[in-house]
Amino acid sequence: MATRLQFENSCEVGVFSKLTNAYCLVAIGGSESFYSTFEAELADVIPVVKTSIGGTRIIGRLCAGNKKGLLLPHTTTDQELHHLRNCLPDEVVVQRIDEKLSALGNCIACNDHVALTHPDLDRETEELISDVLGVEVFRQTIAGNILVGSYCMISNRGGLVHPHTSIEDLDELSTLLQVPLVAGTVNRGSEVVAAGMAVNDWTAFCGSDTTATELSVVESVFKLREGQPTAIVDEMRKSLIDSYV
Amino acid sequence: MVQYNLKKITIVPPKEDFINIILSRTQRQTPTVVHKGYAISRLRQFYMRKVRFTQQNFHEKLSTIIDEFPRLDGIHPFYGDLLHVLYNKDHYKLALGQVNTARNLIGKIAKDYVRLLKYGDSLYRCKCLKVAALGRMCTVIKRIGPSLAYLEQVRKHMSRLPSIDPNTRTVLVCGYPNVGKSSFVNKVSRAEVDVQPYAFTTKSLLVGHTDYKYLRYQVIDTPGILDRPFEDRNIIEMCSITALAHLRAAVLFVLDISGACGYSIAQQAALFHSIKSLFMNKPLIIVCNKIDLQPLEGLSEEDKKLVMEMKAEAMKAAAAQGGAPNDEGVLVTMSTLTDEGVMAVKNAACERLLDQRVEVKMKSKKINECLNRFHVAMPKPRDNKERPPCIPQAVLEARAKEASAEKAKRKLEKDLENENGGAGVYSANLRKHYLLANEEWKEDIMPEIVDGHNIADFVDPDILQRLEELEREEGLRLEVEEQDFEYDDEDLSPQEREALAAIRHKKRLLIQEHRMKKSTAESRPIVPRKFDKDRKFTTERMGRQLSAIGLDPTAAINRARSRSVSMRGRKRERSLVGRDSEGEGEAMDVDGEQANKKLRLRSRSRSRSKSRPPGEVSPGEGFKDSAQKLKAIKIGKKSVKKRNKAARKGEADRVIVDLKPKHLFSGKRSIGKTSRR
Repeated sequence: MATRLQFENSCEVGVFSKLTNAYCLVAIGGSESFYSTFEAELADVIPVVKTSIGGTRIIGRLCAGNKKGLLLPHTTTDQELHHLRNCLPDEVVVQRIDEKLSALGNCIACNDHVALTHPDLDRETEELISDVLGVEVFRQTIAGNILVGSYCMISNRGGLVHPHTSIEDLDELSTLLQVPLVAGTVNRGSEVVAAGMAVNDWTAFCGSDTTATELSVVESVFKLREGQPTAIVDEMRKSLIDSYV
Repeated sequence: MVQYNLKKITIVPPKEDFINIILSRTQRQTPTVVHKGYAISRLRQFYMRKVRFTQQNFHEKLSTIIDEFPRLDGIHPFYGDLLHVLYNKDHYKLALGQVNTARNLIGKIAKDYVRLLKYGDSLYRCKCLKVAALGRMCTVIKRIGPSLAYLEQVRKHMSRLPSIDPNTRTVLVCGYPNVGKSSFVNKVSRAEVDVQPYAFTTKSLLVGHTDYKYLRYQVIDTPGILDRPFEDRNIIEMCSITALAHLRAAVLFVLDISGACGYSIAQQAALFHSIKSLFMNKPLIIVCNKIDLQPLEGLSEEDKKLVMEMKAEAMKAAAAQGGAPNDEGVLVTMSTLTDEGVMAVKNAACERLLDQRVEVKMKSKKINECLNRFHVAMPKPRDNKERPPCIPQAVLEARAKEASAEKAKRKLEKDLENENGGAGVYSANLRKHYLLANEEWKEDIMPEIVDGHNIADFVDPDILQRLEELEREEGLRLEVEEQDFEYDDEDLSPQEREALAAIRHKKRLLIQEHRMKKSTAESRPIVPRKFDKDRKFTTERMGRQLSAIGLDPTAAINRARSRSVSMRGRKRERSLVGRDSEGEGEAMDVDGEQANKKLRLRSRSRSRSKSRPPGEVSPGEGFKDSAQKLKAIKIGKKSVKKRNKAARKGEADRVIVDLKPKHLFSGKRSIGKTSRR
């Protein structure tokens, strides 16, 4: 199930939220409608937590996490850390790390098994990622972009990457991540896919500018509903060609 | 191609308003007060300005008209022809041409009168010239009055034209009047087209939108076409013909097989054959409508033959453009009354259009840039590790429940917000969903700082243990260090121990004193006597202190004396070191062996580049030779020496002669007088 929504007139929902299989973080906004969209979809299953990080609302870009843990940047205040520890279940390890590149969400793309990271991340941070999140860590770039966390979105069932990723890169990344990958866009052609959407294994939230074609690609590649990644090359191929070319 | 926005063309005012607008603007925005007694140049300038300003405003206004109205040669041929059909190209071009001429004429008038104004010799004459200039400009505008009125009509009509994108996916519905075109558009799109039981209900092109396979299609409803020679067709029919001719769309030719529209199948077939040249290279579908009145199977023999003829024609067109000649998508039946087959028609049209567009696009170069986006990279296994997805059981259960029945709706935060005053008033409790061992702890207030310690630093339960461990480690390390660097007090006699303590005490005092001196006296090494009022820095005192700590003060005293002012002129004694190494130290080379220990410590990986000797005369400095320059430097240094020692003000210091100059601090302050009065 993919849902379209907005955060205070901004379609970059991935910036203002962080969705994993064990919890969901949502930025504190002026009204509750953004939060409630997540709440309606998820609150029966996983905790949906309103929080800020370092006093900012761009939480999706600042933190990285999966079902096992949550990494927070050094800008996180003690109160926020305390709040998150109280809200998240005890199985989730919440860890604040001293990393110069403090937008961890932009530098780390991960699912529950594998993580891609920015090539300039500290060695200690890399160790922390593999310890806290329990993942294999690979230093990678996506279509020449070092901000892997911004330009790729992965769950345990599939992934969407920057639209200029070449076919060879796609195959290589797919083998590293062990999930099917597709190059695509969200929000009517936005290349920063991770900023425009939040995804976990059973649901997805996209910015409200996302077109029907983009949304169907998302649903197929992340295997939401009955969609299968192969649908992109079969049924949807014609629609895709007509809308892209 | 130039992009025009037909909806946003500025209003073209009628001629009287046009003139009023410009003249009142001239009156408002140029100076109005003038006197006979002014210098003639000023008078001329006053009226020239009026003339020029009026001309500029006319120019601006007319230019917007010329720029904003689309040029028929520059836009998409569909719009070009449509505008021609609706407004007559010649008339339109003529109107715009007149506006352009008027603009040039006004420019020329202004130029002439400005030239004449240069020779105006009185206020009266200048004024007369101005009046004449403005009058002539207004006359020009009055002459193009009809064109302006026409352009305003055109503008109003254009702003109401449907926004048809000629390049996107389009389904075009055409046929005889009253065959059910508008009903079809109403069924498949969200457009609300007027449907009435008489011919030519639809008088212009109308647009609706529909979705098929994640893509948006525009469905264009066209007015009905009659089968008559091209020249006899009226404007309403010509709109349809234009759309058929220029839009690359899927064409639905709607056929009323019941004849309820008042035209027989034979007549409709005749129309089909007369306009079939317009269907070339387009996916064409023949739609038999009103099957609720007359099913296709029940048609008479000759009518059926006519329909089959049309079908064959359509198949031929499909085959010509390379499409597979399968007949299911060419002839379709529907009833817009009963909704039977309507969706099938839409799907067939969209599918065939999509096929055609994809085929064209596959041949374009741009497809190569996008190939990666039609590729799904499937992972090759790299190890035997299982990486399963993680979907909680609750989700699966909820899904199953959803499929079976409506689930109970949860009360959302949004509902709470609306109940409690809406956004901006309601403030949600962040602690509401805390997962704590005891529910009652949720609202507990936790202090942030206690006894000067940040609580958050102690959040780990084992933090004290770990701190202790760290401290123990640190203590061990410190002990080891002390053993290495400090004297063992144990092997000293009591007196020695006392002396050691005294030395350490003294050392500490010295360091303290030094630090104080450093911060207060800018590290100046020598303090002149007259500033050393308490006579603290004397050789005797130094000698006393040195002997008090058991050192021989002679050498130090001698050294200090040798440098005192009273000893100047006497030759300084050589130091012991110098005397010792006199033999080999005489011919010392800079790059060779160094006797100086301090210098030897530094690595000599790079030899120093030669700097300019201080006495070298560079041209332009005004010295005769280097001897003179050296002398000047010496004199200059000497002149400031005293002052520098006493830390007095010199001429190189920044100086503010008068901190509060009278002229800046007296008198009233009006606007802009803060810095100068």
